[in-house]
Amino acid sequence: MGLMENWLRKLRDQSLFSKIFVVMVISIVLVTVLITTVTAQMSQRLFVQTFSITNSKIIDQIKSALDNSHYTTVNTAINVGQSGVIRSFMTEKDGSSLANFRRYYSMRDQMDRIQSGIGAANIGLSILGGNGRSYTSDVTYWSGSSEQLRNNPITAAAQEQGGKLFYSFMDASPLNSESRYLVAAKALTAPGLTKPYGTLYMFTRESDFRKSYASFTSKGNDVMFLDTAGRIVSSNRTEQVGSLSPELLNSAKQIAESGLASQELTLGGREVIVLADYLPSYNFYIVNLIDKNETIGTLFDKKMLFLIGGAIAAVALLLIYFLTKRLTKSLRTLVKKMSNVTKKNFHNYMAVTGSYETRQLSTAFNYMLRELNDYVAQLVETQKEQRNAELAALQQQINPHFLYNTLASVNILVQRGSKEQATETIHALISLLQNTISNVKETITVEDELINLKHYVFITQVRNGNRIKVETFVSPDCMSAKVPKLILQPFIENAFFHAFNIKSSGYIYVTIMKDRDILHCEVVDTGDGMDLDNKETIPASTSSRQLFSGIGIRNVHDRLLLLYGEPYGVSITSTPGQGTKVSIRIPC
Amino acid sequence: MKKKATALLLAGFMLLTACSSNSNTKNEANTGTEGNAAGSQKITVWAWDKNFNIAAMNLAKDAYVAKNPDAQIEVVEYAQDDIIQKLNTGLNSGSASGLPNIVLIEDYRAQSFLQTYPDAFQELGDAIKTSDFAEYKLGPTSFNGKQYGVPFDSGVVGLYVRTDYLQEAGYTVDDLQDIDWQQYIEIGKAVKAKTGKDMLTQDPNDLGLIRMMIQSAGSWYLKEDGTTPDLKDNAVLKEAFESYKELMNADIVKVNSDWSSFLAGFNSGDVASVPTGNWITPSVKASADQSGKWAVVPFPKLKNAANSVHASNLGGSSWYVLNNDGKEAAVKFLGATLGSDVALYQKLVTDVGVVGTYKPAAEGEAYGAADEFFGGQKVIADFAKWTAEIPNVNYGLHTYAIEDILKVEMQNFLNGTELDKALSDAQSQAESQIQ
Repeated sequence: MGLMENWLRKLRDQSLFSKIFVVMVISIVLVTVLITTVTAQMSQRLFVQTFSITNSKIIDQIKSALDNSHYTTVNTAINVGQSGVIRSFMTEKDGSSLANFRRYYSMRDQMDRIQSGIGAANIGLSILGGNGRSYTSDVTYWSGSSEQLRNNPITAAAQEQGGKLFYSFMDASPLNSESRYLVAAKALTAPGLTKPYGTLYMFTRESDFRKSYASFTSKGNDVMFLDTAGRIVSSNRTEQVGSLSPELLNSAKQIAESGLASQELTLGGREVIVLADYLPSYNFYIVNLIDKNETIGTLFDKKMLFLIGGAIAAVALLLIYFLTKRLTKSLRTLVKKMSNVTKKNFHNYMAVTGSYETRQLSTAFNYMLRELNDYVAQLVETQKEQRNAELAALQQQINPHFLYNTLASVNILVQRGSKEQATETIHALISLLQNTISNVKETITVEDELINLKHYVFITQVRNGNRIKVETFVSPDCMSAKVPKLILQPFIENAFFHAFNIKSSGYIYVTIMKDRDILHCEVVDTGDGMDLDNKETIPASTSSRQLFSGIGIRNVHDRLLLLYGEPYGVSITSTPGQGTKVSIRIPC
Repeated sequence: MKKKATALLLAGFMLLTACSSNSNTKNEANTGTEGNAAGSQKITVWAWDKNFNIAAMNLAKDAYVAKNPDAQIEVVEYAQDDIIQKLNTGLNSGSASGLPNIVLIEDYRAQSFLQTYPDAFQELGDAIKTSDFAEYKLGPTSFNGKQYGVPFDSGVVGLYVRTDYLQEAGYTVDDLQDIDWQQYIEIGKAVKAKTGKDMLTQDPNDLGLIRMMIQSAGSWYLKEDGTTPDLKDNAVLKEAFESYKELMNADIVKVNSDWSSFLAGFNSGDVASVPTGNWITPSVKASADQSGKWAVVPFPKLKNAANSVHASNLGGSSWYVLNNDGKEAAVKFLGATLGSDVALYQKLVTDVGVVGTYKPAAEGEAYGAADEFFGGQKVIADFAKWTAEIPNVNYGLHTYAIEDILKVEMQNFLNGTELDKALSDAQSQAESQIQ
């Protein structure tokens, strides 16, 4: 919990940095990802386009090569169809051995000639006559009997096509050396005959057919031929030959019919680009499959791309991290320092460091602080002076009643003839007035204060009698300590005139001692005491009639606070019936 | 702070380099497998006749692979003409790249290849022991005293006959032992009359029957030297032509157009006999329902030719190693199988019916075994016996060149041209072509 809070606080402290950083992270990652994807897609599209263009040219080349072979095939078919000898071989009934011998020989002669016209192309020829006679030029192409040839579906298809040359796929079987073939078949017809007199078969090994386009293929760039039933009749992917692929046929049809350049498909989990065209002479679709993964995949190393993108983003982020951290650091310290200033302390000046802006801010802040402090100091000074002036004014106002009373007392003494006492009283008044009216500001020693106090007590006792006695206990080491003038007098006065209203006599003790640096002065009376509603407040003097000077006890506390500060001042405790104790603390 | 940054950057680069080094190891792994694939080279064999040569080579392959599991042998079937054409094309252009490692060549043609392309074939040297093979096979398979071919099947011929048809016509197998062509024609006529079946099949484009006839009398298209045409005034050839015409005129010949219809002829029971080489045995036996209805009798001889015997030869071929990549492996393969493996030859006899020319194998059990398909006849032993009686002739270089001329002249002869004129025309054509 504590850790969490700690962390949260830290986060809050760095909220500016976190905000900037988070925004930066998001934008850098976004920019990197977007640029990478857009580039990849653009180049992919470009690649596909280029591939489509070159491959459609390749398809055209393959087409023209195949058209040439188709031309050869058609020529061969025409030659066979026009040969009367071959037609006789396929139509006549068996004659004598000799006649058959001649017919077979001439048929063979014709076929050999036609075969040689084909040239180097590997084409196997078979003919099957309506009379059951057959001839196959090469036993490896077809080694079955004429019966088996007749039962082959191609023969039935040839009858249906009615004299049209067409190509079909023949799968591997023991009868054809376990090879796959493309068979161009044609029912041989003649004018005047209602039915074809025979069938011509031209076998091309799928492997030979493949050679016409195999050089254009590569890994991931496959060419295949589909018949109209969707069977793959030839492909450089030999394992696919003979299998049905309706979706490929569909795609090829769409492309061929609507003249599309290419189409993209997913075939058996592979993403492929399909280019296709229709070969009218063969009634096949030529399909060029480009495996996106294998071709474009080799072009783009996706892993590498991501790694490089990631590395760039990481480096950028790292830089941003340190830059923002540096930029926000001075701001952060500024904030910290400023928030510390609030607590009554205007002396927290800042170190002027960091970037230009922070330095300016700090300087301005420091300047402001300094000004503030100046004003405060000035204010304090003015107040002090004001108070002093007040005090001086108060000190210098010796109460005329006091003088009147004292002089009246002296008069009585003189009349009574106590000449000595009168002289003594006059002396005391003179030295008291001398000490108080002269310079107000200065402090005086405890010794002098005690002398003043003695004169005041003497005068007061002369007037009011001796029923209240005053005793002073001063530790010798305090004699030279300095105290503000007339600090004790108001309390003595107060005790004289207020503490003994009920009791008629008692004592006032004045104690002064030193405790380390603090001077403790105590004025304790054994008078009536009082109820202090608020112990902190010092009761104001009710009457100023008999006061010696304008200084009330209330003033003393304020004066001490003004002179010495907080821990010093006056405190009063009192118990009704027992007396009051006034403690004064001042530094010495 | 700065230290941290450098450390992070370093880590980043390490990551990148680590990835690239990964792809390197992948590549190495790839090349490793390729290297392995190249190590065990494939031996390619070309041959024709899947019932006989191909079947025999597959047995040899199985025997070899059983002992050498790494060996890769591919047997490819082509028509014989195709092989000849491909060999000629390849060897003429001087590039042996599209050619196989081992090829089967008919003995008639062997010399023309060996002499025309002396460097194209690999000498076998010690891989086979020539004295272990039938002597008449060594001539065609060697050149300049060096042995190039592993002699394979004997081309010894016999007359395969349908005993049931003969019986119907009133003959027994004994009646056909040691007959001449005139007697054969008589029997044929009787068979045709009784059963409606022809006596034999013939392809107008294959004068194999003529070749068998003349070799039975020790004659050939060429003289002893192997180069001079011997057509005009060749009495044996003349008699062969006349016999051929008699066969035709007797109307006992079913004409066939190609190999398939040749096989179909006897497999479907359309003919009563097949005069041909022993290599036809597996094809005859392919019709299992005819088991017990066949017998093999000695080849008929020419009636008038004084030295004509009841033995001849047709075809027969040998295996040759081409001088290209993989020849060492190919020589090793042939030497270990057809060059020395007696057990293999026994298997060849029982499974395929090959009458080999490897003498040590002839002592094996399989050679003396009775064949139920031929009514318990010890066919292989009989063939072996006849092999020894084959008259030796020099096939020379031009067997098929001359035969192409003779095919045409045969037509002319059958169409009424005087035999002497036909043959002397052939002679002059042959002389002008061979020169």
